[in-house]
Amino acid sequence: MMKNLSEVVLLLLLLFFSPYAQGTRYSPPEKPALTRCRSPEKETFTCWWEPGSDGGLPTTYALYYRKENSDTVYECPDYHTAGENSCFFNKNDTSIWVNYNITVVATNALGSTFSDPVDIDVVYIVKPNSPEEVVVTVMEDKGWPFLRVSWEPPNKADTRSGWITLIYELRIRLDGEDDWEMHLAGQQKMFNIFSLRSGGTYHVQVRCKPDHGFWSEWSSTFNVKVPDYFHREKSTWILITVFCAFIFLILTWLLHMNSHRSLKHCILPPVPGPKIRGFDKQLLKSGKSEEIFSALVVSDFPPITSSNCEDFLVEYLEVYIPEEQELMLEESKDLHDNCLKSEGSTYDNDSGRGSCDSHTLLMDKCRRSKEEGRLTDQEESPIEAQRHQKKWNEGPLAYSHDDIVSPDTSSGRVKTWPSVFSPLPQYSSLNQMSSLEKVKQHCLSDSLFPPSSSSSYLTQPGHDNNKEALGASYWDKQHRSLHPQTQALWQIQAHSEVNISNVGRKQAPVDLQPLALRPTEYVEVQRINEEDMVLLQPVMSDCGAGCPRPRQEDDYSKVQGVNNDNMLLLQREVAGHEAERCPCEDQEMNGAMDSCVLSSIVTQKPTACIDTGTPARDDTALAVSGYVDTATIFTTY
Amino acid sequence: MNMMTVKQQGVWAALLWPYLLTASIPLDCKEEQGSLSRCPSISQEKLLDRVIQHAELIYRVSEESCSMFEEMFVPFPLRLQRNQAGYACITKALPIPSSKSEIQQISDTWLLHSVLMLVQSWIEPLVYLQTTLDRYDNAPDMLLNKTKWVSDKLISLEQGVVVLIRKMLDEGMLTATYNEQGLFQYDAQPDMLESVMRDYTLLSCFKKDAHKMEIFLKLLKCRQTDKYNCA
Repeated sequence: MMKNLSEVVLLLLLLFFSPYAQGTRYSPPEKPALTRCRSPEKETFTCWWEPGSDGGLPTTYALYYRKENSDTVYECPDYHTAGENSCFFNKNDTSIWVNYNITVVATNALGSTFSDPVDIDVVYIVKPNSPEEVVVTVMEDKGWPFLRVSWEPPNKADTRSGWITLIYELRIRLDGEDDWEMHLAGQQKMFNIFSLRSGGTYHVQVRCKPDHGFWSEWSSTFNVKVPDYFHREKSTWILITVFCAFIFLILTWLLHMNSHRSLKHCILPPVPGPKIRGFDKQLLKSGKSEEIFSALVVSDFPPITSSNCEDFLVEYLEVYIPEEQELMLEESKDLHDNCLKSEGSTYDNDSGRGSCDSHTLLMDKCRRSKEEGRLTDQEESPIEAQRHQKKWNEGPLAYSHDDIVSPDTSSGRVKTWPSVFSPLPQYSSLNQMSSLEKVKQHCLSDSLFPPSSSSSYLTQPGHDNNKEALGASYWDKQHRSLHPQTQALWQIQAHSEVNISNVGRKQAPVDLQPLALRPTEYVEVQRINEEDMVLLQPVMSDCGAGCPRPRQEDDYSKVQGVNNDNMLLLQREVAGHEAERCPCEDQEMNGAMDSCVLSSIVTQKPTACIDTGTPARDDTALAVSGYVDTATIFTTY
Repeated sequence: MNMMTVKQQGVWAALLWPYLLTASIPLDCKEEQGSLSRCPSISQEKLLDRVIQHAELIYRVSEESCSMFEEMFVPFPLRLQRNQAGYACITKALPIPSSKSEIQQISDTWLLHSVLMLVQSWIEPLVYLQTTLDRYDNAPDMLLNKTKWVSDKLISLEQGVVVLIRKMLDEGMLTATYNEQGLFQYDAQPDMLESVMRDYTLLSCFKKDAHKMEIFLKLLKCRQTDKYNCA
């Protein structure tokens, strides 16, 4: 019996101390916490709490609340409807615009713990449910589709009566993208979405919010596929394609044109740059100027060909036969001198021609010189000239015929002699150039000209060379062109003068010795008498006092005329003091004796009969003895 | 002759006295809801709509003012979490239904009267609020403008509700106000924080009451159109 009692006591003690002996520590539960309270429709609400550790013991939770105006504590009416750790307040227990003071209590075997109280007002904790019956339809507006989204408010929310006012928001997303496009719909329950991608799939969601509360959750996604409306866009693509093709064609055409450089030339013709033939621009860059400019130098410039000789000169010398012969002569001489002087100064083609070529000008000058001529003629002895002519005609006729080429008288014009008789040394050498020079100088020397001018011409060899060349060429022409077809046409030729001198020279052993021995001798045309006789006169130059100028010698320097056989009939004259009364022994065709006298009167120059030994006379002779070089027309008889 | 004219005037006066009465009695045709020109001309539905619009605007502006004030002056720890009213509102004593079930049970008359009570009880505190806000150093002008606007609109709302009551309920003019005793008592609060908290409470309570007014009016409208499906 004693043993049984002790066993029971031990068991009891064990039982009593066994919990302590196990070592587990039980504690009252931790403080729970109210997490949130929400009302879906402003008529009911639910509160959830979070329990702490339970302390190892089974713990019970209780929710107590107290309303604003009363101190009565109520316990949660429903712990199960809303799930675990929740409290659901139904319509009857929910007051709006009233503050609730809610507390959760956790209780276990060891104690209970109160949570922090929370004050809520149902009005401000409204979080409605998501909108329902979201329907998205594809509609068409003039061929362009759009989405019409429609929905219904959450089931429990009483928006119809105005108890709760909801505003909606929807969002849309294209399938495959991440960004949502938000649209605020306000209080309406329908919304249109435009600008859709053809053939795309869209996701649409809607949510709502009361005017004072929280946003609802997004509704379930509604998927919609937009049909393809490419047929509407096809026309646009066609337009774009055509436009691009057009642009492409234009570009190819432009490139083609550019490659062939024809468009460029069409639109922008190249500006012609300066181009000198034979001028290499590359040489200019290299820097050799001599080579470059050699192309610029023209070898035959200035032109000095014989063909241009005529251009500088007065072309025709026309001797006027009747009473104005001497005047013509003088005047033509003047003109010729003028011409030659100007020609000598420059090589300009134009300058030599203008004053000399004018026929009318010459005629005017003829008249003027005629008047002058009447005043000054004294010294001619036509008779003596005729006499000389006779002698001339006997001898050298044949000879002169060979030398003389008949000029072409058909035209009735005589080419002027470009040159004067050259001085005697040259004269004797039969040099054409020298004779040309003689002629030139004779021509140049005029009664008006000072002797220095003629001498200046003499002393300009280089200058005269060209003249001689010109004159020579001219002489050649004259030589060829002389053609005494008509007897009445007298033509004055320098060549004939030369021939005269030549003839005189050659005939020197016969008749003209004294003539040949003269150092410088000018043969000048003194005048033309009425019988169409050219009276030549030798002119002495720079002879000095000791110049043995024979006075009584026969002078065959006068051309009496040109006969039918194209022979120049020379006239022998006797130089003497009786120049004025020199008998004109000209046997010219016309046969008028009176003309000789007349012609002697006309001329200004001292005639051949005058003693020409003095240099002064030579000067005067040079001065006065011009050379007929004009274009006066010879009238044929 | 004199007797005849007096008699005639007397007869005329006797015949025309109702018109005289009506002339003397003001018809309460003041401008209601801002755009009401003649009382008889506007329909009941339109008037109700305009009253509802007024209430909505008032609520929205009061909400903005409260949040603005809260951000500027109220310390963060003291701010009402989820708009819990820390301080008792002045209108808590008013017999105003506070749940939908209660509202479903009261009549239209009572509903309107509740609105009227609310409106009338808030006119004076809003005026006070304006004076107190002026005393703040850095009160933004927008806050002041809003509160001023709200107080003005509240007065016009009161007029509209009065007319509505008269029209809908065929009641006479209500001249008596429910809060003539002055639910609102001005207490001088020397402490700045106390003053701020009091003003803050005032604003939040008014915001809530404005919401009430809006809800009531909307429910009333629903009842007018569809009596059986409304709350």
